[in-house]
Amino acid sequence: MKAVSIAAKSLKEQVRSFWILLLTLMMGPFFIFVYYLITESTMPHYELIIINKDKGIENESGAVNLGEQLLDYFEESSKESGFAPFSISISGSREESVGRLKSKEAEALIIIDDEFTIRLSQRMKERDAPVAGIEFIGDLTSTNYLLSAVWAGEIINGFISEYAGENSYIKVTETPLGVSGIISEFDLVVPGILIVSLIMLMFTASIAFVAEVENRTMLRLRMSEMKAYEFLSGITAVQLLVGIISMLLTLLTAVMLGFSFTGSIWALIIISALTSLSIIAFSLIIAAFTKTANEVLVVGNFPMFLFMFFTGAAFPLKAEPIFFLAGYPVSVQGLMTPTHAISALNKTLVMDMGLSAVMTEISSILILTVIYFLAGAFIFRRRHLKNY
Amino acid sequence: MEAELAVLNLSKSFGSLKAVDDVSFEIGRNEIFGLLGPNGAGKTTLISMICGLLKPTSGKVVFNGAGERRRVGYCPQENIYYPKLTCLEQLIFTGEMYGMSAAAARERALMLLQLLGLTDKEEARAAGLSGGMKRRLNLCLAIIHDPDLIILDEPEAGLDPQSRLLVREFIKNISARKTVILTTHNMDEADRLADRIAIVDHGKLLLLDTPENLKRTTGEGDILELIFESHTENKLQEFAGEIKKQFFKVSCTGDTLLIKNPNIINSLSGIKDAAGERGLRIAELKLRENTLEDVFIHLTGRTLRQ
Repeated sequence: MKAVSIAAKSLKEQVRSFWILLLTLMMGPFFIFVYYLITESTMPHYELIIINKDKGIENESGAVNLGEQLLDYFEESSKESGFAPFSISISGSREESVGRLKSKEAEALIIIDDEFTIRLSQRMKERDAPVAGIEFIGDLTSTNYLLSAVWAGEIINGFISEYAGENSYIKVTETPLGVSGIISEFDLVVPGILIVSLIMLMFTASIAFVAEVENRTMLRLRMSEMKAYEFLSGITAVQLLVGIISMLLTLLTAVMLGFSFTGSIWALIIISALTSLSIIAFSLIIAAFTKTANEVLVVGNFPMFLFMFFTGAAFPLKAEPIFFLAGYPVSVQGLMTPTHAISALNKTLVMDMGLSAVMTEISSILILTVIYFLAGAFIFRRRHLKNY
Repeated sequence: MEAELAVLNLSKSFGSLKAVDDVSFEIGRNEIFGLLGPNGAGKTTLISMICGLLKPTSGKVVFNGAGERRRVGYCPQENIYYPKLTCLEQLIFTGEMYGMSAAAARERALMLLQLLGLTDKEEARAAGLSGGMKRRLNLCLAIIHDPDLIILDEPEAGLDPQSRLLVREFIKNISARKTVILTTHNMDEADRLADRIAIVDHGKLLLLDTPENLKRTTGEGDILELIFESHTENKLQEFAGEIKKQFFKVSCTGDTLLIKNPNIINSLSGIKDAAGERGLRIAELKLRENTLEDVFIHLTGRTLRQ
């Protein structure tokens, strides 16, 4: 019953510590947004400029302009190419287009000759007639130009084959390697960022513990003969709630920005709840070494840095195993629970594996949580409660 | 007098430092017990052991036959409160921590807030209260669970005159039903409120008695200052010599005679008559009664602030 009162009081204090709460809840969504911008900006995209000078011809069925038909063919092909890395823009001026190439606004300029229709029509009738001309302009040292030119060349060949009514001799198909065809780079970083949102609990949880030391209200709680487990469970319940809300906000942001969520929501909640508990237990260690909220905000940065950047949370990191335990790699990073949590989330969210596949990770998180908690409780008692 | 609390041969050492040294006393039910001592005398250590916050090296504290920390309400000198909670919220929370139901804690909290003039601040967060209000809230928090023994550490420190009167009145009222231990630097406060006073220094209990007895029996006593009209110096010296035979301490400087003795007021008419018989006319008479401060200095050799 006392634990419920402590939880209610802690919740009020947490909500009224507005800026710390905002920092904790917003860090995950903020990181998601930043990664979204990064992956968006680094996604390959090729801009082609086409100038159609083709005058066309008049025949018995009316005006024919194959240059314009080629433009339509380009438009359709760019729409059919899945995530559409190519886009087309039409121009009427060579000088203006070359200017855009020089300023890297586009990768290649394609100019359709003014006699494109005439020559292509003649060529269809006479094999010795002059060929139709298409000029490619671009930076020949640029990979982007080469890719654009290859792609454009394929489209032009396709158009010609279709115009000539020729059947292709070969059919090329593409097979994605690994998960490259079904998930994006953005999808791959989301599990780590979900854990980042939980790592931020370090601050709110440490401050919740240390507030009783800073305000000296620990004396009142001790006078009331409140039990340590009532105090810890009351604060932990609130921090767990903050952690779950933070994680869900981060997930919501990720989904809104295009994250393809395929795994089980329950697996996500269970892994997140266990990870939150481990972070809260670790916060007890931080609270043990600090006396005020301000000290938590300074000292807490060090473990937060380690947890974020050395576990693969903020960006993918390959941990070198020191040894293998029942086939499971054990590394220095493995001393930090986010390492296991990220592994578990990658398996459940990205690979669509069940909870049974991540039992090793869950066991590791649980064991480390107990170690963090025992160490935190011992040091906290030695440093803050030795007078009682 | 039925004892509410018995302190039996209590000692506490921190390494080689003996903070409390074999202290024993009893406090009666509904008594206001003053605890005086200079800084570092061992008062806080003694109180911490009575509150159960510190384990004694030896000896024990017995509460009317059975020790129970919940029966103690401790109001520390430093204001201890939850800055982000309202006055009412933290009183209810503290009550709940002592095992009260939310409804009972709320009812008592409202009553205490009214008694200490904080009703209009019940929904205000503690961080925004004035210093005097925080002090009063500190007192409310100490007694929200209706303890039998209330320990007040400097309850009037930092209070404005209006709040001081309110708190003093409050302590008097609760002492009708509760036992109070009062530690203070304010001798006047102790003199006015305490039924008995214990003076401690260097961890030892030096003296324990009622304020009246302490003032009557301890120290150099009351001070009588007599300033005489024109006279011959020999006459005054002779008079001083005669007075010295009867009183504790007599000194003569110019026209002024200083006489120090316990209960000197009872001898005042005799002194005046003796002076008149020698033709000495008293121009001015000043009498300062022995105070607790004098008693304290006599016992410890220093003032309470030192």
